[in-house]
Amino acid sequence: MSDEQNLFGRQLPLTRGPANSSSRPAIVLNGQRRQCQRCHQWLLPTDQLPNQAWYCRQCLQLGRLTSQDKLYTIPEPNRFDPVGVPILTWPGKLSPMQGTAATAILNLTRRKRDQLLWAVTGAGKTEIVYPALAWALAQNWRVAWVSPRVDVCLELAPRLQAAFHHVPQTLRHGKQTTPYRYCQLTLCTTHQLLRFHAAFDWIIVDEVDAFPLATSPLLQTAIMTAQKPTGSHLYLTATPGEQMQRQVHQKKLAVTYLPLRYHGVLLPQIAVCLIWRWRERLAKGKLAAKLVRQLQAYQQRGQRFLLFVPHVVDLKPIAQALQQAGVTGGMTVHAGDNDRAAKVQAMRDHTIPFLITTTILERGVTFPDIAVVVLGGDDPVFSTAALVQIAGRVGRHQNFPTGEVTVYCHSQSRRIRLAQGMISQLNRQGKRLGGRYK
Amino acid sequence: MTHCLLCHQVLHPQMTLTQFWRWQPLPVPVVCQRCEQQFERITEMHCPQCGRQQTNMTVCHDCERWGEQNLRNHAVYTYNDAMKAYMQQYKFQGDYALRQVMREPLRQALAQQTYDVLVPIPVNQETWQTRGFNQVTGWLQNQPFHQALLVTIDHKDQPQSAKTRQQRLRTQQPFSLAPNAATVLKNKRVLLLDDVYTTGRTLRHATAQIYLGGAKAVTSLTLAR
Ligand SMILES: [Zn+2]
Ligand SMILES: [Zn+2]
Ligand SMILES: [Zn+2]
Repeated sequence: MSDEQNLFGRQLPLTRGPANSSSRPAIVLNGQRRQCQRCHQWLLPTDQLPNQAWYCRQCLQLGRLTSQDKLYTIPEPNRFDPVGVPILTWPGKLSPMQGTAATAILNLTRRKRDQLLWAVTGAGKTEIVYPALAWALAQNWRVAWVSPRVDVCLELAPRLQAAFHHVPQTLRHGKQTTPYRYCQLTLCTTHQLLRFHAAFDWIIVDEVDAFPLATSPLLQTAIMTAQKPTGSHLYLTATPGEQMQRQVHQKKLAVTYLPLRYHGVLLPQIAVCLIWRWRERLAKGKLAAKLVRQLQAYQQRGQRFLLFVPHVVDLKPIAQALQQAGVTGGMTVHAGDNDRAAKVQAMRDHTIPFLITTTILERGVTFPDIAVVVLGGDDPVFSTAALVQIAGRVGRHQNFPTGEVTVYCHSQSRRIRLAQGMISQLNRQGKRLGGRYK
Repeated sequence: MTHCLLCHQVLHPQMTLTQFWRWQPLPVPVVCQRCEQQFERITEMHCPQCGRQQTNMTVCHDCERWGEQNLRNHAVYTYNDAMKAYMQQYKFQGDYALRQVMREPLRQALAQQTYDVLVPIPVNQETWQTRGFNQVTGWLQNQPFHQALLVTIDHKDQPQSAKTRQQRLRTQQPFSLAPNAATVLKNKRVLLLDDVYTTGRTLRHATAQIYLGGAKAVTSLTLAR
């Protein structure tokens, strides 16, 4: 790849750029305050170095920018080889309901509308986007498929590779060492978008309500900066936040609903089980008898399960207490776990019967025929959206369209009730479209 | 609302009972308890020369091999994963704000040392330009210090090809005395300050140079070993 291609639609700090590149200072004084030009966040008066330079703390992870740096760019030329046909090599077929949603999305994409696909967990939202994506690639658009969660990107990469076999693609995320490649289709984390400037004609934001995008103005700006001024975006989620729902109400955001799963079976509802002071009992190395009985029963009949717990520190004592109770062979996993990918793979390969996990596995991972148990579901880490997503791990596969979701808690929380309410509401809408209980 | 400088969680400062009774001004916490506990303080049981954590107080193996070239170093923390990660972010990623994490522990450690003049290990000119700060002086608040040493050899600038040359560099003195150093150092007890004790080479070179400046005693303190 040439130095030029490296800069197409990008913004990179270099010591010297190619002849046709342009540059701008990385940190600029705007009135009384300084602003980083990569992430557009404001610097604090304390962000100065002893050598007098200023630096941005907000986008440090991508390499430190100081007022001595310049960001180089070459305007995006959309210089791609014509894509091989057929563009879409996915052998699957959309259900009639998926097809209707796919057509609606395609039409909005043609009109360059900013839009949201609000589809229940397990609706097959990735495939619903395929027709619009194939159309966009045929228009020679530069497209990014992004997600705040690296797991989502990693799971998506092979699927997109297979579905658009002749389209050159690149995957970008933070822990990666392979060099950047200029491609028509870029799959990356939202963080990586900070390295782009007016590059994309269309950006698909997968799991838009997931942490950290939902709470990060920096990442929200990153999407707008990486998008061309003439570009548009598509948000995908099963659980849009209140702000996004408001935008839909105000018609600022076009929306396509899909309240029913692709196999036509309704969403599993959350069953709540109250267990008094489970934390105090756990401190003594014990778990509630109800919970233990349920998990023992799962093991006896070979039912694989995910056990969600509130915090990383809870993993070990709970694993030990289960071991004591004879529920064995599982593993624990959390965000900072170096073996996270391997453990998830072991679960996929059926080499282990269960995973004890934090909310890190709330979305983006799919295991057929899985039961889900949440311990401490009233803890604030389990937001309404998180609970709906966790429940949505169950019954996703055509051959196993049902399953159990049990939330154990000390007291019923508002978030749990809201999650149950959201599932009921989606199921009412799903029933109108012909949804079944099993 | 303040956040932990390392993990970005919201900080809930807690006043301990002793602080309350003694009515001490509260050091404003900059990291959460969980992050703070990741750093391991070195106990009394350490090597008297390099300061490394041990189960006894005899001279360690590495120090024995240095033979005559004695050193008296103290270190505050072990160089564990948390410390490595901290140094990576502070020094190599260049997040100058993280100097605050170690200011208070270092202030306490300095207060326990006996010395007249504090001399931080310097960084070379190129590092000063690119990193923008000296990681060691970044930890100091109001403690007076003298930049008595200058970097004369930049190891990175030297060709790395010839092995014999490399070996020669190992023994070559990288520091020189600053122009007015002798007046400051003469007959003084000097404390050298560095970030991490790895091989001890840097501190031994610095110690030799400070003695040349007329100091009567030289000891050292590092954040980690
Ligand atoms: Zn920035
Ligand atoms: Zn912390
Ligand atoms: Zn030693």
